[in-house]
Amino acid sequence: MVSDLLLTPIIQHIVLAYTALLVSIALGIPLAILALYSRNLQTFVMTSANLMQAVPTLAVVAIVVPLIGIGFWPAIVAIILRALLPIIRNTWIGLSSVDPAIIASAEGLGLSEWEIIRYVRLPNAYPAIFAGVKFAAILANSVAILTAMIGSGGLGSLVFEGLAGVNMMKMLSGALPAIGIALFLDASFSWMERRMVPRSGQSELE
Amino acid sequence: MVLDEIAAVWINYNLTERTIEHLWIFSIALIAAIIVGVLIGLLIYRRRRYAPPVFSSLNAIETFPDIALLVLLIPLVGIGTVPTIIACVLYSILPIARNTYTGLISVSPELLEVGRAMGLSERFILLKVRFPLAFPMIAGGIRIAIVFTMGIVTLGGIFGAGGLGAPLQTGINLIRPDIIFVAGIWVGILAVILDGIAGGIEASLKRRFGSW
Amino acid sequence: MTKRFGETVAVDRISLDIIGGELLILIGGSGSGKTTTLRMINRLIEPDEGTIAINGIDIRTIDGIVLRKNIGYVIQQIGLFPHMTIRENIGLLPTIEGWSREEIDSRVTELLTLVHLPPDQFMDRYPKELSGGQQQRVGLARALVMNPPLLLMDEPFGALDPLLRRQLQDEFIGIKEDIGKTIVFVTHDINEAFRLGDRIAIMHEGGIVQLGTPRDLILNPADKMVSDLVGSDRLFEHIASLTVSDMMVPASSIISGEMPVQSAIEVMVQSGSTVAVVRDRAASFFVAQLPTLLQRRDEVKTVLEATDPPFFLSMDASLLSALEEMKAASASFGLVMEDGEPAGLLLPDDLISRLV
Repeated sequence: MVSDLLLTPIIQHIVLAYTALLVSIALGIPLAILALYSRNLQTFVMTSANLMQAVPTLAVVAIVVPLIGIGFWPAIVAIILRALLPIIRNTWIGLSSVDPAIIASAEGLGLSEWEIIRYVRLPNAYPAIFAGVKFAAILANSVAILTAMIGSGGLGSLVFEGLAGVNMMKMLSGALPAIGIALFLDASFSWMERRMVPRSGQSELE
Repeated sequence: MVLDEIAAVWINYNLTERTIEHLWIFSIALIAAIIVGVLIGLLIYRRRRYAPPVFSSLNAIETFPDIALLVLLIPLVGIGTVPTIIACVLYSILPIARNTYTGLISVSPELLEVGRAMGLSERFILLKVRFPLAFPMIAGGIRIAIVFTMGIVTLGGIFGAGGLGAPLQTGINLIRPDIIFVAGIWVGILAVILDGIAGGIEASLKRRFGSW
Repeated sequence: MTKRFGETVAVDRISLDIIGGELLILIGGSGSGKTTTLRMINRLIEPDEGTIAINGIDIRTIDGIVLRKNIGYVIQQIGLFPHMTIRENIGLLPTIEGWSREEIDSRVTELLTLVHLPPDQFMDRYPKELSGGQQQRVGLARALVMNPPLLLMDEPFGALDPLLRRQLQDEFIGIKEDIGKTIVFVTHDINEAFRLGDRIAIMHEGGIVQLGTPRDLILNPADKMVSDLVGSDRLFEHIASLTVSDMMVPASSIISGEMPVQSAIEVMVQSGSTVAVVRDRAASFFVAQLPTLLQRRDEVKTVLEATDPPFFLSMDASLLSALEEMKAASASFGLVMEDGEPAGLLLPDDLISRLV
């Protein structure tokens, strides 16, 4: 019974958060790579990303409404606006923190720009990208609750309906699964990290 | 025209009072977070074996969705300003405590050796050498906490804490672009300014005390 | 005293007397126990066995903090506090001891002058604004601030480039004369040891292999390791081919035995020599030493009365055998003769410093 009532919001929540996360990854990594080759793009992307990080989530979610309305897709946009930042930032740091001598020797070997990215820069950036995606995943899980305010549905709806009707049980039935998902995400990312890190020998970037 | 609309929203929704209220909650939460965070960092520095359990608990709290944490606090302290401040502190302890701890332990060994060889007491070394050298790190943690706190204080508006989150909620509920833009952009500007100030302080501390 | 780290014996039953006012070098490779020995003196490390006494007082009976405040300490990494100005770094202990601001400033000024840093230019700068050599001078000034009778130095010039190291060593020799402290100095650089040390203790695997003056070490190395280290093989190879005439100091002037002591002193001071050849009326030769003349100027009238019988050497004698003969006769210098006339003086102490 209870599980049936919960199942739909949980699925909605997961679809919402992880559609947004996947789009963020698909946008963020290429943007970070492009930023390597254009000083202007780099300045623009990093500055706006850093400024955006400071803006409260509620303000981001709210401003989406007058721009593109309410519902599932505006909610996706709001989540992307949050989740994109850590992915771009960490990818860029990982890609650009390669020892210049290694890049020079790769060029000396006759590797093309793309081959240098593929075989030198990206492997160096994996741990940082991974940490960025982990952070973005947890952030998406959090924002996906708030977007219920702008009609995304999901676990957040239970929280806000409960809040409006002073129904503690309903609020908890929204909040607790979200916490469960967060802890599960954190644990599984940490597990994957432990399997990755000894091989690459890189430490985690925030 | 636009200015008139902004002024109308500003006056009708008491944004001056809301801003003062917002910054007031923000300040209390941040000061509480700094005190608690630095103290926890210091305690863990004194009792190093507690570092792993304390940090992994704080890490777990960090992953909680902020709204879920506010919901969990309702049975304990209800809604309003108090749970908002508590949530801010809970999220901000980790960056401040972790950076305090890291800053205190990462003072280079030869400085400590020279300090000991000069006959300085452990207490003196902690207060006059380790702490000042940890300032840039602690400031970095506080800067992260400022962003967290600003976000949660705004969110607190939905849970009856007032501040600039309240007009935003009204704007969303009534689908009023004017309110959303004015309150949203204003709170965004405030957040960026505070973050910028914190960044400036952090950078000057790094220049002053050296960076690692 | 002995110090173990787990199974490893870092310092193995060594015994060492440090003479007040001397600069004692501890030299050895890494793991020889030289730094451990140094750090036991100010109780940064406690010995497992044995005692260390300063002026007859067992240092374990002195509070560690009090002890360390009275022992200057300088290390290779310098360890200036980066968040304090040069004034604050040097003035830290005086501040804790409650000196007034004027007293601290005047002490800092005095010390900066001593280490050749213009005080008004350096007082208010931060360590990272200084070069490595300047930082190390400040490190030395800081160690001297409480005027400690004992100074411990752990490879203080080790991180500097050879030229700068040489310059700081030269300056340090001057400073050492000025401050007149007992200094224990750790190094792995044998040239530095010979330049600075009054006595040198060669350490290996936690023990002292040989302790002696630079001259002892070169002329009488205890074993192969010491001779390798001081390079006496290399020196001897060189020395073996030398004759007395190669290394003697020409006898610039010969003083008549009847000359009044005061005039002889004036002549020697003017010519800058400390040893002079003296001829008596019977055309026999003697040697006069400036310190002896100064000491006995009031008791004797003529130079002759204050001379010593010389140890004669011939020009073409091998330098090595000449040195050995002199050592056997405990002569501190030799008079080199050619065709019955004095040609020069052989001064072993001067010779060793020239060879090194």
